[in-house]
Formats: sequence, structure tokens, C-alpha cells
Amino acid sequence: MSKRAPYTSLPVHVDEQPEFAKGHVETPPSDEALMLGRRGLMGAMAATFALVGAEGCRRPLERVVPYGKMPEDVIPGIPSHYATVLQRRGDALGLIVESHEGRPTKIEGNEGHPSSFGGADLVAQASILELYDPERSTSPRKGGAPATWADFDRELSARLAAYDKDQGVRLRLLMPPTLSPTVVRMRGALAQRFPKARVHTWSAVADSNVREGARLAFGKPMVPVNLFDRARFILSLDSDFLQTESGAVRAAKGFAMSRRLRSARESMNRLYVVEPARTLTGNMADHRLRLAAGDVERYAYALAAELIKQGVNLGPELTASVSRHAGADGIPARWLGAVARDLSGNRGRALVVVGARQPAVVHALAHAINAGLGAVGAAVTYAPVADPDELDAAVDIKALADAMAANQVDGLVILGGNPVLDAPADLAFGDKLARVPFSVHASLFVDETSDKCSWHVPRAHEFECWGDLQGLDGTIAVQQPLIAPLYAGRDDITLLAQLASSPEKTDHEAVRNTANGLLLATRQLFACGVPDAVGKLPCRDASGNAIPVHLYDLDREWNRALSAGVLQRAPARQASAAAAGAAIAAGIDGRKVAPRGAGNFEATFAPCPKMVDGRYANNTWLQEMPDPSTKLVWDNAAILSPASARELGVDSKDFVTITAGGRSVTAAVWVVPGQADHSVGLTLGWGRTRAGRIGNGKGFDFYPLRTTDALGFASGVTLSKTGDAPYFFAQTQENDSTEGRPIAHEATLAEYQKSPNFSELDAPPLRALPLWEQADYSKGHQWGMSIDLNACTGCSACVIACMSENNVPVVGKREVWRGREMHWLRIDRYYVERADIGATAEEPAVVYEPLACVHCEEAPCENVCPVNATVHGSEGLNEMVYNRCIGTRYCANNCPYKVRRFNYLNWHNDVVWKETGGLPETLAMQQNPNVTVRFRGVMEKCTYCVQRIQSAKIKAKREYRQVRDGEIRTACQQTCPSDAIVFGDVNDPNTAVSRAVRIDRRFGLLAELGTRPRTTYLGKVRNPNPEMA
Amino acid sequence: MAYWEPITALDERPLVQPGSTLKDITNDIAGVTETKAPRGWWIGFLIALTFAGIFTVCVGYLFYRGVGVWGNTSPVYWAWDITNFVWWVGIGHAGTLISAILFIFRQRWRTAINRFAEAMTIFAVICALIFPGIHVGRVWVVYYMFPVPNQMSLWPNFKSPLIWDLFAVGTYFTVSLLFWYVGLIPDLATLRDRSQTPMRQRVYGFFALGWRGSNRHWRNYERAYLILAAISTPLVLSVHSVVSMDFATSVIPGWHTTIFPPYFVAGAVFSGFAMVQTVLLIARSVFKLNRVVLMRHLELMNKFLLLTSLLVGYAYAMEFFMAWYSGNQYEMAHFLHNRPTGPYWWAWLWMVIPNCLVPHLYWFKRFRTSIPVMFVVSILINIGMWFERFVIIVSSLNRDFLPSSWGLFRPTIIDVGTFTGTIGVFFTLFLLFMRWLPMVSMTEVKGTMPQADPHYHPKDALARAGGHDQAHGLGDAPVAGGLVPEGAE
Repeated sequence: MSKRAPYTSLPVHVDEQPEFAKGHVETPPSDEALMLGRRGLMGAMAATFALVGAEGCRRPLERVVPYGKMPEDVIPGIPSHYATVLQRRGDALGLIVESHEGRPTKIEGNEGHPSSFGGADLVAQASILELYDPERSTSPRKGGAPATWADFDRELSARLAAYDKDQGVRLRLLMPPTLSPTVVRMRGALAQRFPKARVHTWSAVADSNVREGARLAFGKPMVPVNLFDRARFILSLDSDFLQTESGAVRAAKGFAMSRRLRSARESMNRLYVVEPARTLTGNMADHRLRLAAGDVERYAYALAAELIKQGVNLGPELTASVSRHAGADGIPARWLGAVARDLSGNRGRALVVVGARQPAVVHALAHAINAGLGAVGAAVTYAPVADPDELDAAVDIKALADAMAANQVDGLVILGGNPVLDAPADLAFGDKLARVPFSVHASLFVDETSDKCSWHVPRAHEFECWGDLQGLDGTIAVQQPLIAPLYAGRDDITLLAQLASSPEKTDHEAVRNTANGLLLATRQLFACGVPDAVGKLPCRDASGNAIPVHLYDLDREWNRALSAGVLQRAPARQASAAAAGAAIAAGIDGRKVAPRGAGNFEATFAPCPKMVDGRYANNTWLQEMPDPSTKLVWDNAAILSPASARELGVDSKDFVTITAGGRSVTAAVWVVPGQADHSVGLTLGWGRTRAGRIGNGKGFDFYPLRTTDALGFASGVTLSKTGDAPYFFAQTQENDSTEGRPIAHEATLAEYQKSPNFSELDAPPLRALPLWEQADYSKGHQWGMSIDLNACTGCSACVIACMSENNVPVVGKREVWRGREMHWLRIDRYYVERADIGATAEEPAVVYEPLACVHCEEAPCENVCPVNATVHGSEGLNEMVYNRCIGTRYCANNCPYKVRRFNYLNWHNDVVWKETGGLPETLAMQQNPNVTVRFRGVMEKCTYCVQRIQSAKIKAKREYRQVRDGEIRTACQQTCPSDAIVFGDVNDPNTAVSRAVRIDRRFGLLAELGTRPRTTYLGKVRNPNPEMA
Repeated sequence: MAYWEPITALDERPLVQPGSTLKDITNDIAGVTETKAPRGWWIGFLIALTFAGIFTVCVGYLFYRGVGVWGNTSPVYWAWDITNFVWWVGIGHAGTLISAILFIFRQRWRTAINRFAEAMTIFAVICALIFPGIHVGRVWVVYYMFPVPNQMSLWPNFKSPLIWDLFAVGTYFTVSLLFWYVGLIPDLATLRDRSQTPMRQRVYGFFALGWRGSNRHWRNYERAYLILAAISTPLVLSVHSVVSMDFATSVIPGWHTTIFPPYFVAGAVFSGFAMVQTVLLIARSVFKLNRVVLMRHLELMNKFLLLTSLLVGYAYAMEFFMAWYSGNQYEMAHFLHNRPTGPYWWAWLWMVIPNCLVPHLYWFKRFRTSIPVMFVVSILINIGMWFERFVIIVSSLNRDFLPSSWGLFRPTIIDVGTFTGTIGVFFTLFLLFMRWLPMVSMTEVKGTMPQADPHYHPKDALARAGGHDQAHGLGDAPVAGGLVPEGAE
């Protein structure tokens, strides 16, 4: 946890461990193999354990061998930290992984990586659980029956030999969009072997429209890199850039920078959001317009026309085209005039961002508008794409489906993804796939697609293999394995190398070669030959001069890249080509936009913030993570606005049949104020049938409604009430209003400037004096926390980070419904009605308030515990002594914040993992060894990550120094993409937390009760446009 | 005019059916334990035993799985468990009140019901004490509550009202048990002396502690009884006051109320009397105790119920008034909105109607003296007082300060089983008591009879009774036990 000392790179052990490889790869798949995995793989990691697989034994034979030779970097009890990178949609998120004796346990953001800057999102946080998922595929399967890798390799090479004859004309490859230079390179190698083989790209949450929009505007695909730290007037057109779009973490980091106001003199950004369904971004908006997704395009044209009127130059062709299409039906006038004035009046600081599901032409228009607003270079830049050959996903998957239908495909290799689940419904992908004679699906799970393929092979997890990923802005980082493959999986690069029969046999070798190429290219060195006997690489520079490079130079660079987590920084900011007005105008002219008829419903499809496209369905943490908007757990729903629900005669929990283009899905409704009327919000990735024990049958699958021409939203949808008995939903927060209570203080920017300490003024006066003699809190460390409600986006990454760090159990849907969720940290979401910001009961504004134990100095819980199980530490922590607790629950009753959590049952053994007889061994591997796992019958709650405090104090003591400010970061603080949480010593006036608690917006939640909370808040400030009122 | 006669000018009436002899009393009461149990007893006992069995199963399951088998949740961490605890403790109040306070105030009408009430206290407190014991998350370390010296140098937290509670209820139970047992000694000796089998003789003889009815025994007995009554009297007030502090010392709106101690005591007496009446009415009809338990007793109890109902109603009204008068947002939201109109409004009506409105029937003598009316009313009050505790505990917790954490409590089948199970345990113990111990204090009842008066003479009684020679029971009284107080003759 220290100030990011260089992270260790992992030695490559797999190759050096032939016994291991043999023992694991060739062991017939069985439960024994699964159980043996852990020790064996730890052995591989440490290169000292050994294990012999148990063939046919009733009981697994285990040999525990002590460390004979101490492996470098592994000190028992001291975690190591490794830098790696994880693909998150179109961005690569740099991560630091904590590892205990070779066992990765916790994900954190990498401060050195520009997509993270220390932050991570909830899915990245939860991916550690995916690694250990006990239901991951353990062996290859042929036709559903277990097989071995040797069988697969034999059949594959026979097949490939056959394809060699016709240059692979009947061979196809399907994979999700890649950000990996090595994968792109290996695909090139494949093309060399099979020049006629085609590679298709598909992902249900691809950024194809973004790409095609850039292609339309600039003539080539580019990635817009929005600089939210610089943009001050932001208009989001159906873009959830704070959570589900590509680069959400970097967006949140930048966006929050001008939201963390240190005084009323500072300025803050203003966010306008136009969207159909509530998203995190819409909830953060200063002004939010609920508009059907199909109307956003019309809005964009009307706004462009209005901007042109305000003097923004979009070029003659666009001016003409936009004026032809602009129509303002159903759009409030102030959303054109006032917004356009605000944007055009703040050139160079204004930015328009467009959501990935909007058509490409809207993206192209936004590029033109941004250019007209002077945003290019100031608020947005453009980066090269990682894979220049990628096509529009819908077109590409259709091409594959057509080829399969025409029996042109003999062999299909699917690397990752789950097209049978998520390919457009009109393609009937699964049926066509079943006709392909030789189909291979490499995936973590035996899923819907694996069932339809002739072969399934286990794919290595991102934390199990080498790789490299290019971030949104072009930064390239190395993905290094944290653990040898748990379930004998093979990674994409190795499989591609196998297909291409490349000389680079392993992922490590291939990635290393790519890295060397990049490192040499940055030195302007090319055409390197084979290294000589002393390790010198003969290279030539651009002018042809021979320059030898020592291999150890490259080794040094490589090790530096591994420890820093970044191989190559993003290229200098691109001066973008001007948007081609004529092409965009032609694109607009090719569109037909008209206001929807009355009563014409549309359905919008959005990736789930938790399940993404369904790949995380088997992840208990994410299943139990409350949806940031609806607070539903273990489910999604068909979201309707109150007015639409009334019109259809339905209410929350009622079932409706949603029909689009002759396909229908029956799902339960959830009514959300703020949803656009006549638009039903559907999140993808639910209702899986082959996800596993956890994910099967949770929520509703809306993929059957999603077709090639309506991947983002479909119009002409009909909804009808079915009359079935209401569905059973579970929420973690059932009351949406603050009930007028002074608990989440907020003000507009103008009010804040007039009355900087509005939070304290709004709070009731202290009305209780301490019951007992007060402790002396003036000495030593005194820990405290400050949470900025103005920066918090409600993304909930902190909640998962807390679960991961503190071994917080999951309780399941029914128990959540009872109210027994165990989250130490929860994010309260209140709807706010305020006339001055246009927030009404039908479309309320939102305030998020993260709440964990606030560590009261006068804690009501401490007085009432009969057995002294919760006591106050000398450093101000409210401490929970688990083995003293008898579980009277009096403390929780008396906690005014209700942040204490009680182990009503043995959650692992008796509830969630009952069928497996307790928490599976692999999941137990994830648990943090520094945090006690609590038994049933005891109370638990936030400890301020006391284990981190203690380890930092021990470290400081050994180094004869004080604990430095920022040295201790709680799990929630560390991962927070918007840096809303500050923790530290409040006794030292110079710490960040001391500075934060002196900010005028400070308030203590329910401090009027005399609790003297150590966690304090900074009130929310909204920045409405006075013209919009 | 004889001293032993009721003074009609003061509206005094006989406490035992006129014309009863001491022998009648002994035969009536001791006879219950000596003859075959009536069919009604067996039916009642089997039903009660069934529920006690359900209780055992539920508690076993509770121990096996954890507290989660109940409906307790967050934010309602206490629900039926503590509701039942407070309800049973409340019921356990009447016993000591009737025995001790009425004894000290020389309310001699209490003699018909005090044994009953004391037994009820003991069994109710047993049922009550079960709940704090079983409701904790880790029952196997429940002894951490006790100040047991240990190598960890850990001590209970005496700031915690739960510790006060433990001591208050524990003390109350101990003193009540002693009080009950001391009162039983002369009657146990009577049973010993009437024994027909060696087994009865030995068992009753053991528990009678060698009572022979000597003057010295009587003197010591009376003194001990008086002292125990004096010790018990403050306990009646303290135990429920302390129980109420579990709530009153907390910060939760609906709990954080200074009126709680007297309010809880009044409520406890109220519910205790109601329960005594329920049980008494059943016993009176099953065992035909009309001679001892007169309508006069029942009517007096009804007056007492009316009085305590008014006290309880006042407390309810004062809670609402103070919430409004304080101007405190959370208090107002709780009392003015959540209780009458929140998700548990129906529970609130169950609390108000039986406790505050129904007892007003007792302004009318017709209802005060109607057995069916008082049986129904006593049951209603029992239910109403259970709901009072439910409202205080569950509806205060379900909506506290932060609306984000509001949530509902939904009971499970195990909740129902545990609660009805303790009623089964209670009645099992009670029916055993009625079968094997004198359910009315023979000694004390005889003390209220004309025969107990030193100036009583059968001839006078005879003359007044109109010449019928039936009041000569004095000479038939057993020699040792159950004798009238010293100097009766």
C-alpha cells in the first residue's frame, strides 16, 4: 500500500514446470482436478510446491512441500503487488493486483496508467471473483463430452492441414473487438497461413457507431478522447460516459476534478444530459432531459441548427443539411436555445459527447459541432484505433451468419464472446452455428455458445495469461498473469499462434516480441536481425545505419514496463483532421427522422452496468450489487416511466409482453421516474440459461428483441400487460425520498456562493450532550474520512472494492428482500424534487450518498453492547471485536445510520453456496487473509480498513518514521474513480483529509444527535443554467 | 355485631362464599391435586404440551441455523423475540403486584388469586427469560453477559441497559420464586398430611421443609412473608422500568422517551391482570372454584384493569403530544405519521382499540360482572398488549432516521412457532402447577373467613344463617397444616 513502489514482474514459471503442465493439462477432468487446482497452481506460482494429480482415486492425493528455496519476492504474510491491465469495452484499464503468496486477492486501479489514474470500476473490481469462479470450464469438451487438450490439438491440426489446401477459404474466426497489438499481429500471422480465411468481430456492446462516426467525419476510424477535466460545459447525447461507455473511469476522474470544489470561489462544470433511461451520467446531470433514444438524433439536428444560429460555424454543407432536418417537435425550447447559447458562449470549454448506441451520423455531427465549438484539442482529442481492420460489428456478424447459412463455413473458431446469446436475434446465430461441421468455442464458461459448438475449450482468464492492451488514448500496457491458469485454460494469443502455426508458441513470447518491436520502433530502429551469441541485436535506423542493441536494454525496458504497468505512453496529442462536412451532410441526408407517432413505444438496449453483456452473470458480487438507479439486485427489469405505466395500466412488478418486429419477451416492469415516456428501458446481459448456478434464470433476457438494424434501440414496440402474478423483486433501498430530512445537503452554485456553509446552516442544531466523559482525541493518529457528495457519481465501484477487501459475504435475493444484505458500504440514492432545477416528481434529480460506519466519537452502538464487543480505539476507530460479540444486535438497533450488518445465518454454507456445501475452495482463495471471516451470529461493519492502517503503521515503525499522508488508503477511497473519498489523520492539520473537512460545504450526517461522526460529508452543489429555469 | 362480619355500610362483602367451612376450602383446593384430573385438564395439557413441543423444535432449528430463521432483519434487528420478552415480563408483573403490594395494603381479596398470580409470574418470567437467551446470534457464548471472572479480563459493559435488564429480571425472578415458595410451605404441609401414597408424602414432605404449624413456625413464616413482600414491592416497579430503559436510553425515535418507565409499569400491570384473569376464568370453570373465586374478586380486578387502561391510554396520548410539542422532525414523523399511517397501522389499531377503548366497558357493572365479557376482554387486552410491544419495537425500528435504510419486518413460520410455543410452555407449566400444587392459597383464604376471627362462634353464624347447622367446620380442620392463623380459637 505504500506509494506505489515498482510492482514486481512475475517470473515465467509455467514453462519451467513440465510436471505441473502435465499433471494439469492431461488430467481427465473431474472434481478432483478442480479441488487439486489450487495447491498445484500455487505451487507453480511459487515454483516450490508440487502436486501429483489423482487419477481415479477416491480421495485426492495431496503433497504439501515446504519452501525448499525461498522464491524471490514472496514473503509469507506480505502481499506483493503486480501491475496489469484489463479490457473494459473500448478502453484498457490499468490495474494493480494484490497477491498473497501467489494468490491474487484484490484489484486496484493503477495510478500510473492514464485510463485509471488509480481508479477502477465495479466490474474491474469484481473481475477477481470471475477468476476464481468455481464453475469455470475445466477441460475441453467435444460434443459436450469431456475431452483432453491432446484430443483437441490432434483434431485441430488435422483440420487445419485440410484448410491449408484451399488457403482457409472455409475457415472463419470470430472474436470480440480487440485492443491488443499482439492479437492484431497474430491475426496477421494467421492471414499469412490462411490468406482466404476471414476474421469477424462481434460484441454486443461494441463501439461500432463511434468508430463509423469517426470514419464518416474524418475518413478513417479514430477514437475520440474526451477531456472531461477541461470541458466545462458538457452536453451528453444519450451517453453514459460515467459508467457504461468506453473509458468511464478516465471520464469520471476528469469529470470530478471540477466538482470537488474547495471553496465557493472555484468554478465547476455543467452537465446537460439527454437520455431515455436513467443512467449514472443522467443522475449526475445539472439538467436532464428525458427523451426517447430515437428522438436524440432529431434533437442533435435541432441543436446543431440552433448552434448555427448562434454563430457556430459547421461549414456550408452541414448548415444546409441540418436546417433541412431540424425539427423541434416535443423538445422543450429551452433545451435548444438556452443549451445552444451556453455551449456557443463557452467555446473551447464546451463539449458534446454522444452515446455508442446512437447512429454513426450523430457521432459524426458531434465531431463537427465540437470542431465548431473549438473543443478539438481543448476538450477532446482523437487517438488511433487499436485494430484498424475492425468492421461494424452488426455488418460483420451478419456476414458470418450469412456465410454459415450458405454453408460456406467449414471451420469456425470463436475466441471469447457468447454470440449464441447476444448476436442479433434476426440472425438465428445458434441454429446456423449448429450446422458448422467444426466449430470451436474458447471461453471461460461452458455457455450457450459452447453448447452449439462441436468443441469447447477453456480459455485462460485475463489474470492468467500474458497480453497487451492499447488504451483509449493509445497508451499500451502489458497484461501480466497473476497466477497460472487455474483450469488449464489457453489464452487467445496461444490459440491464435496455434492456428497460425506461428513460431511464437506462447503468449509470453508473443507479447514480448510485440513489446520489443514497439520499444525498438520508439527508438526509430527497424529491421533487426537475430541476436548474436553475446545478446546483441543488429538493427538499422531510418537512414539504414546499423545500430546494435543489447538485449538487456530491452529486458530493462520490459521490466520497467511490467513494474510501472505502462509499456508505451500515448502519442502526443493528435491535431485532428477537420471533420468532413460534406460527408456528414450526406450521411444526414440519408437518414429519415420524424417524430414518433403517439403511443408508439420504443425499446432501448443498454449494457448492464454490472453484467455488461451478460459475461458477469455468474458473479455473486455483481448480482448482489444494487443497480445504481433502481437499487434492484439479482434482476433487471423493463423500465417504464410513471406516465407510460399508467397508460398501460401496469405498475412495478407487473408482467408485460414486449413485442418488437414479431419477437416478444415477457418481463416484469419497474417504474422509474425520469424514464422517457413511451420508451421502455431494457438492460442486456440478464436471463442467462447457461451462465452457471448463480447466473441462470436471473432477470430477463432482452436479446431476443435486438436485431441487426436495431442494436441500440427499436421503435414500433408494443407492450401489453399479461396479468400474471406480480414478480418478486428485491431492492436494497425501498424508499426513494429523503422525506424532507436534512440528510443530504445540497445547494445550487449560486446559493453556495451566497452561503458557503449551507450544509451546516441547513443542519439542525446539536441537541444531545455526551452521556459519558469524553475521551481525549487530541493525541496520536485520529483517523477520519471525508466524502464529497458533489464528486460521487454513485458508480458503486467502492462497494465492490469493500466486499473484495473485507471478505463481505453475499446473501442472495431473498435475503436482500428481507433486508439482510451485508454491504459494509452502501450508496443511498435519493430522488430530489426542486423547482429551481426543474426536478419534479415525474423527473426528479438524484443525490447519491455513500454511507458506511461513520465511526462516531460518541457512538450509540458502544454504550449499549452488553459484552463490550464494540469499543472505541485510541485512534478514533469504532472497533468491532468479532470473537467477543454474542449477537444481541442492540448496537445495530441503536445505530442511527443503520450501517451495521448482522450475520443472521451462515451465508456461505446455508444460503448462497448451500448446494456446494459451503464457499467453494477457489472462492475462498480470493478472501483477504488479513481480514477475519465472520461467522454467523456476529455483527460486522466498516472498519476503515483497519488492516491497511495497521500494516502501514507497522511499516512506518520499522522505518523509524511517521505514517505519511496518503499512505493509508481505504479500499473504497483507492478505487473511487472520482476521488470523492479522502481518508487520513484528522489530527494533523496538513493532511488531505484535514483540508477536506475544513471545506465550507462540510456537514456531519445526523450530527445533531451528538454522535460526532468521524466520516463527514461535503454538500452537493448543482450548477443549473439560470436560463433553463 | 360480630367482627368477622363484613361491614355492609362500607360496602364490604364476604370474600368466601358464606357458609363455607374450613374443611370445604381444604377439600376444594387440596382435592384437585388428589383426585383424577378432569377431562378438561387433560385436553388443555395435551394442547399445551403440543405447543411446547413446537417450541422445542423451533428453538432447536433456531440454534442449528441461526437467528435468520426468524424474520428479523435490518433495520428491524429486534422483532418478535423482544416483543415476546417484554410481553411475558409484563405478564409476570401481576403476580408480585397482587401478592406483595396488595398484601402490604391489606387488600384481603387478593387471597383468592394470589397463588395463581404468583405462579403465573414465575412461568411468565421463565418464558420471558427464554427470549434474551435464545435471540442472540451466538447462544453458546451467552455467558459473556454474566460478570464471570475470566482469563481474558473481560467484563460486561455496565453502561448497557441489557446488563441492567439481565440483573433486573434475574432478581425479579429469584425473589418471585422465593416469595411463591415461602407462601406455599403451609399448603404443602397440608398436602403432605393428606397424602395417601408414600411417594406424595415424601415429595410434599421434602418441600414442606418440616412444617408442623407450630406457633414459632407461624411467626417466622408471617415475618418472612412480610419481608419478602417488602422486597418484592420495589421490584414490581423496577423490573419493568429497567426493561423500558432498553428502549428509553437509545436514540431511536419511538424509543427515546422519558415516559417509558412508568408507562411500561402501568402496561405491565395491565397485561398481567388481564392474563391472570384469563387463566383464572379457565381454572375457575374447569376446577369449579366458585366458592373461593367470587364475582366480587373478578369485579375488583376489572376495576383495576380499567384504571391501568386509563394509565396506559394516558401514556399513549402523551407520547403523541410530546412528539408534536417537541417539534422534533424525526419524532413527529414517527408518532404522527409512521405509527398511525405507516406500514404497521393495523398493529397500531390492535394496540389502541383493545388497550384504550375496550376496557371502558368496565364503567358499567353489567359488563364488569359478566364472565363471557371479561373473558373476551382479557384475551383482547393480552393481544393488545402484545401489539403494544410490537408497535414500540418493530414500528419504531422499521423507519428510523435515514429513509434509505427503511425496511419491513416480515415474520416467518418459526417466529410464529416460537411465540405460540412459549404460550404452550407457559400453559404446560401452569397446568402442571394446577394439578400438583394448591392453586389457591388455602392458608390465606382461610384467614379471610369468619372462622379466622377470634370472636367467631359457630352458633352466631348459625343464628345468622337462619338456623341451618352447617357452619361447624372449624373442628374438622386438619391439625397441622392449613390451620387458621394462631389464636383462631
